[in-house]
Amino acid sequence: MPMLIKVDGDQAVLVDDGFVLLGEEDPAPDGADVIVSLARFQSEGDSLMACGRRVGVRLQPSEEAEALAYDLPRLAVVELRFDKFRDGRPYSNAVLLRQRYGYAGELRAVGDVLREQAQFMLRCGFDAFAPSDGSGPQDWITATRRYRHVYQAGADHRTPIYVERAAAKADGVAKEELEHGL
Amino acid sequence: MYRYDTYDKAMLTDRSNEFRHQVARRLAGEITEDQFKPLRLMNGLYLQLHAYMLRIAIPYGTLSTRQLRRLAWVARTYDKGYGHFTTRTNLQLHWIKLRDAPDVMDALAEVDLHGIQTSGNCIRNVTADPYAGATADEVDDPRVWAEVIRQWSTVHPEFSYLPRKFKIAVTASAKDRTAARSYDIGLQLRRDREGQLSFEVMVGGGQGRTPYLAKTIREHLPADRLLSYLDAIIRVYNRKSRRDNIHKQRIKILVATLGQEEFARQVEAEWAKIEAGTVDLPDTELARIRGAFRPRAFETLASASKAFEAAKADLAFARFARHNVKPHKVAGYAIVDVSLKAPGETPGDCSSEQMEALADLADRHSFGEVRVNYTQNLVLPHVKLDDLPELYAGLKAVGLATSNIDLVSDIIACPGLDYCSLANARAIPVAQAIALRFADPERAETIGELKIKISGCINACGHHHLGNIGILGVDKKGEEFYQLSLGGSGDNDASLAEILGPAVHFSRTPEAVDALVDTYLSHRRDGERFLDTYRRIGLKPFKEAVYANAD
Amino acid sequence: MKVLTANSLATGEVVFWSHGRWAKAFGEGERFADEAGAGPALAAAESQSTVVVAAYLIDVEEVDGHWVPVSYRERIRALGPSNTPQHGKQADGDADVAALVAATFAARSTGRVKLIKR
Repeated sequence: MPMLIKVDGDQAVLVDDGFVLLGEEDPAPDGADVIVSLARFQSEGDSLMACGRRVGVRLQPSEEAEALAYDLPRLAVVELRFDKFRDGRPYSNAVLLRQRYGYAGELRAVGDVLREQAQFMLRCGFDAFAPSDGSGPQDWITATRRYRHVYQAGADHRTPIYVERAAAKADGVAKEELEHGL
Repeated sequence: MYRYDTYDKAMLTDRSNEFRHQVARRLAGEITEDQFKPLRLMNGLYLQLHAYMLRIAIPYGTLSTRQLRRLAWVARTYDKGYGHFTTRTNLQLHWIKLRDAPDVMDALAEVDLHGIQTSGNCIRNVTADPYAGATADEVDDPRVWAEVIRQWSTVHPEFSYLPRKFKIAVTASAKDRTAARSYDIGLQLRRDREGQLSFEVMVGGGQGRTPYLAKTIREHLPADRLLSYLDAIIRVYNRKSRRDNIHKQRIKILVATLGQEEFARQVEAEWAKIEAGTVDLPDTELARIRGAFRPRAFETLASASKAFEAAKADLAFARFARHNVKPHKVAGYAIVDVSLKAPGETPGDCSSEQMEALADLADRHSFGEVRVNYTQNLVLPHVKLDDLPELYAGLKAVGLATSNIDLVSDIIACPGLDYCSLANARAIPVAQAIALRFADPERAETIGELKIKISGCINACGHHHLGNIGILGVDKKGEEFYQLSLGGSGDNDASLAEILGPAVHFSRTPEAVDALVDTYLSHRRDGERFLDTYRRIGLKPFKEAVYANAD
Repeated sequence: MKVLTANSLATGEVVFWSHGRWAKAFGEGERFADEAGAGPALAAAESQSTVVVAAYLIDVEEVDGHWVPVSYRERIRALGPSNTPQHGKQADGDADVAALVAATFAARSTGRVKLIKR
């Protein structure tokens, strides 16, 4: 079984993939959890799930998150494939899946996945990674810790700087009030 | 000026550290050049003809003197003692070493400077009006919004791997000094009758291979909804643009392909789905940023200055006053344009000594503030009229007093084949030859406003599509030829220049420009600029003049 | 004839392959009869990913007893920017540089030079 890096908070561990990636014509092995293309899911998803297996979908960069909007509660995994790490479409798909459609399952980055994009991916809501550059969990955690602060709100729910500023100011005011016995 | 707080500074420090790691990994062979290239581009580091070039961001063209002095020091310590101000109001250093780049980044970060996102397929440095905060005709300080955009776009998690580069301009004046309609997004700030601020949002402008002027997709966007609207535009772009042909991946292509209406519809639909409060800044944060741009402690002065008027007895100073001094919103003050176009010099270049002298002058005479104009000139935004004679003398002493703003020798030219690995031909020697040919200040004044813009290749970094005379260097039969075009303008009356005729050899280009100027002078009516005469009489008389003796 | 050129990874400086090492001066560049002859050197250069970046072959021709790049772009690259003669390798002032400079100016007026073709 291929290994995946799974990130949870500030921990990253190597886990078994646990799913079989099926081509368009491949039969689904008995009892196996499978990942299929969007097209195959749309035609066979119900029957694949009927026997109790867990099913995931792999989206290509040109495919859109909207296509899965109604099926997300039933999906165990969504994989977003990076054809080339420079093609940023999966980032938008991830953001939409997490923030617009409320997807709470595992969101994987597969394909041309490099540790130098770790923090972008995590901030967009990915929580599992199949790196193509041989990097391991420690590399990914290091990469995600590079920025102590973030300017924008993201799918990772880190506090954006403008909220931190307001909180610091509020604290400052509260401290001042305490000091002056107000 | 906006002062970076601990959070802004932390971002720069962390960015520097990240880059240092990335460079180390590259030098050690742990990542390939293919993997490293977008990373170094996103820190402004290009591999050019002779060396690495570092493009340092000057956010919305505003510099403190401390920053200017640090740029001078970096140029002297790590480069060859000069820098080049670009048509995106950034500073380029042309001789940087990769192994020094992390140290350079640290030195820049100490004064709140960086090279973040000055290249790469991401949101670039925002251009704002170089006269912001000083001009009477603005409805707001556009730098407030440029700073809002800067923070939102820096290390953006979703939008750092766009189909292509993304450039935004913000202007708040009736007179646009940013060429906003040539931008991916141009934002025109206005106030309605109740005094509410709103943006006209224009999308899909761009120069390069296929120039376009931006189309308005929304007339009135409430200003405090700016970021969510930008979010919507860029998300549509990121998702819908082609990714198969690098020459068709700017947003201008998407807008042209979908059509303005459909593109606007998609943006509005996406915008409607963005949850309130997730992107737009709270009013408190907007107010905090706005507070950083509050007016300087201007003195109460008479609107006329005896010292200024008396100094005009010196003809050279009078000329400087005519061309380089602009009205300020506060009585007794002026905006001063500092030309980096002394005839015979490289347009936009500034030595470390000149930078340091200018910093001293800015400390004495301009509240320690300097601006960069996309025209590759600098600005001292707040100078007392009384101080102008002393300022002029100080500028003159370091070769920064050329009185040619917007005149024939105030030429925009990209670095071209002398520096740039993308170029087809040289641009700098053409600019020098033309400027020298028209070096006589009286002749230049007779000609009046004439904006010549020169690019060394179709990427149009010299803005040749927007030149009253646009000049594009091409490779014809293995030699440097120059295609001339007429009638471009980056002002509110924006227009793309029209090609005149067959490209002209390098050696004949200055005389061709002469012929164009003579044609204008012989046809012009009272008060007409070159552009006006061209718009009235068309291409034909100019074409005949240039090609009259063609073989 | 061909010469193999690249940029130093660490410094960005233009360098020329010269019998297994990288030389800074164009005049020291090893000449190959053709692309096939340069093959092994190019392959070696491409494997030196922590030494050089962007290795490629350029055409060179003989002009007045000196070898110079055929294209104007490569002449500028071998010399330095034309607007600042004190910057770049042209400031080193050796015989090969002088020949390059002379050839460059000569070629411009006769039109024999190719502009950007490598």
